[in-house]
Order: sequence, then C-alpha cells, then structure tokens
Amino acid sequence: MEFKDYYDTLGVAKAASQDEIKKAYRKLARKYHPDVSKEADASARMAQLNEANAALSDPEKRAAYDAVSAQAAAQGTRAGGEFRPPPGWADGYEFSGGPARANRADADHSDFFEALFGRAQRGSSARGFERGGTAAQRGEDHHAKIELDLQDAYDGGTRTLSLRAARPGPEGRMVSEERTLEVKIPKGVREGQLIRLTGQGTPGFGDAPAGDLFLEVHLRPDKRWRADGRDVYLPLKLAPWEAALGASVEVTTPAGTVEVTVPAHSRAGRKLRLKGRGIPSATPGDLYLEIELMLPPSESDSARSAWTALASAFPEFNPRETKGD
Amino acid sequence: MPHAFHPPAQLAELLGDDSLSLEELARACRRAPEWVSERVGAGVIDFQQPESTQAERAGGGSSASVGVGWRFASTTLVRARRVSDLEASFDADPHLAALTVDLMEEVGELRRQLRQLRPMGHGS
Repeated sequence: MEFKDYYDTLGVAKAASQDEIKKAYRKLARKYHPDVSKEADASARMAQLNEANAALSDPEKRAAYDAVSAQAAAQGTRAGGEFRPPPGWADGYEFSGGPARANRADADHSDFFEALFGRAQRGSSARGFERGGTAAQRGEDHHAKIELDLQDAYDGGTRTLSLRAARPGPEGRMVSEERTLEVKIPKGVREGQLIRLTGQGTPGFGDAPAGDLFLEVHLRPDKRWRADGRDVYLPLKLAPWEAALGASVEVTTPAGTVEVTVPAHSRAGRKLRLKGRGIPSATPGDLYLEIELMLPPSESDSARSAWTALASAFPEFNPRETKGD
Repeated sequence: MPHAFHPPAQLAELLGDDSLSLEELARACRRAPEWVSERVGAGVIDFQQPESTQAERAGGGSSASVGVGWRFASTTLVRARRVSDLEASFDADPHLAALTVDLMEEVGELRRQLRQLRPMGHGS
C-alpha cells in the first residue's frame, strides 16, 4: 500500500503540538471545504486532510502512526512509496474506538489509513467479530452525490455508480474496495433530495444489518429548462406577432411535446402555467413557460420594408417608455 | 478492475419530507440521538410532526416528549451532516455552525442559479 505522510499533508513538523495540528487542519479545511472551495480537487484534498487530521489529532492514533512512520523510514519508504506494516505492528496500542469525531469523510480513507486504523475504529465490536461475532454492530451508512438530468426526474432511469468504500477483509481488518452498483432511479427526484439504497453501506458485524447508502441528487444544468423544487421552467420563444395576436404553438418539454395556446397581448417575461406538468409526484409540480420574444431578420430589402411598415404603423410607440416596465 | 459483490440494479428509495426517524438521522450523521434533539431544541435542525401527534399535543396528550414522532426530511439530513462536520472540524458552536450552513446553502443556491444563467461551456 502507499505510505501517507500525514505531517506533510497538514504542513506541520513531526514535533508539532496538538494545537499546531489543529490550527493547520482548520486553516486548510477552510481552503478546501468542498462547499466553498473553488479548487478543482477540493473534495479529494479535503478527504486527505480529514484523514491526516483523524490520524494526528488523536494522541493514540498519532503514537501508532509515528511508530509506523519510523518503520517506514527504516525501510527507506517515502510518502507515496510502497509500504507494508509488519504483522502485529499495532500490538501494545489500545485505541479508544467509538464514533471518532474526526472521522467525517465517509468511505474516503486510503488503504493505508484503513489498514492502520480501520479495525481500531470499529472498537470493541471489531474485536468481538474476530472472536466469533458475539458483538453485533450495524454497518455504517455511506453518503455520495449523484448528478442526474431533469429528464430522469420525469422518467426515472438506471445509473451505474462507481463507489470506493471500506469493508471487512480477512481477519476482520477493513480493506478499501471499489465496486460498481446499478441503481434504478425512481421518478420524481428533486434537487437536493436524497435517495436511499438500503443495505448498500458498510456490511454489519455479526448478525447486524449493513448500513445504507444515501445519494444526494443534483440536477445537471440544462440550457433547455431548469427546476425549482417540483416546478419546472423553460423559455417559450415567440415571434412578436404570435405574442401580440395569440397563437397555438408546439413546445418540447420534459413531459413530452405539448400544444400550448398563447393568449393575445402576451408580453416578454409573462409565464404560462401548465398545471401538474412539473416533476411527477403525488402532488406534482407545475411547468412554467417563460415568454421570450425573438425578432425576425432584417438583412434583406423586403425584410427592411416590413420593419419600416411596422414602424410607420406605430409612430407613437417608444419602447423605453412602455407602461409596466 | 472493479469487483461487484453487491447484487445489481438496486431500486432506490426516494426520501421525502418525513422519511427519516430521529434515530436514522442521528445514525447517518454518526451522532447520538441526543445530539440531534439538542439541535432541534436550539432551532438548528427542523423536524416534521405527524398530524396524529400534533392532535395529541393540542389535546394535552403526553406524547410531546422529546423526539417522539419526529420525522425529518432528506434535505434536513444533508444540513445536519454539514452542521455536524463543521462542529467537529472547527469545534464550532452549534449556532455558528448553523449560520455557516445557512450561508453555504445560500451560496450553493446562488451558484446553481448562476450556472443556469451562464451559457453552457463557460465554467461552473
């Protein structure tokens, strides 16, 4: 497995105090927090920071890591180099286990971290598992994000996900594993909503059930339409005369092609509502068509004549003094 | 090469506005139920009260005890996990973490609107 230099990740010296480690972590966490960072690899960097912090902020884990680092140095292993801790390396260390407060990055830990601390994180239940599974413990939930098209919200669909997660390996030690999962997306998903895959988290210990996998839905931007909750908005492009005189037009929507009657005297920006044609649900959303006016070309002589005739028909019209604007 | 040890084509369950119990929310945040109930009490996390429980409360019933009948929206889980992460990462006060999450949510929404308004292919 690849050796990780957690001190280097946090940019602190090996002799750094707990306070210095905390400060370094917080400074970098602000920079790479995925919700605010503009760095392209923010999520990956944040996972590395969380892992380094999880190892170094806990004095027990830090002592164990320092011991492994010393072994790695004796082997001539540098950060990123291949390293395998000798059997029984953790003998003599007693990890507190329990819900490690610094362990926030679900399923994002490296093989190195899982090999060193994965078993310890599961605390006494892991030891129980090794002794014959007397201490059952439900597996941990996993969380991931999934990007879907708005069309998926209308039709549902199947997506293949590639996930990396830890699972119990031989001798009860956690190992990191990549797996693919085919997921049937139900109709009706909305931005920010979660979908749950029961039992697709970490397998449980003993007879306990596996954790669940939660997928946070994000809708991919689409220039054709946008969603706000269950309501969907799309532009309805009209010729000026269609807006002025009224028209019957065909519109392609996520719900299919619909024929829409445009009332006379419509203006740009006006919204036409198609009730219940938004994202499907027990209480479906509405579909809003936002009127945009498109101007015909004016390059040819005949086109210029037509525009001139129109201007002559409205000598008093001043678009910069239009009522209601 | 990926190794599929789970059965394929899992049917996903869409979580609505009252899908999660107090225990499920706490477990997904890797926190104790008391952590959630404290933040509900502080107004950091919202919950739904089933109509039956509301009626009991209105009638002076005793089931108004903390956590009984509480249900949580899936979007609340996303929020609760952010609050939990911030508290853990920065030893943050729950209200300060909640304020930060409020701002994160607003920034996220504004970025989403900006992406929608920008012509495609002009970055995030």
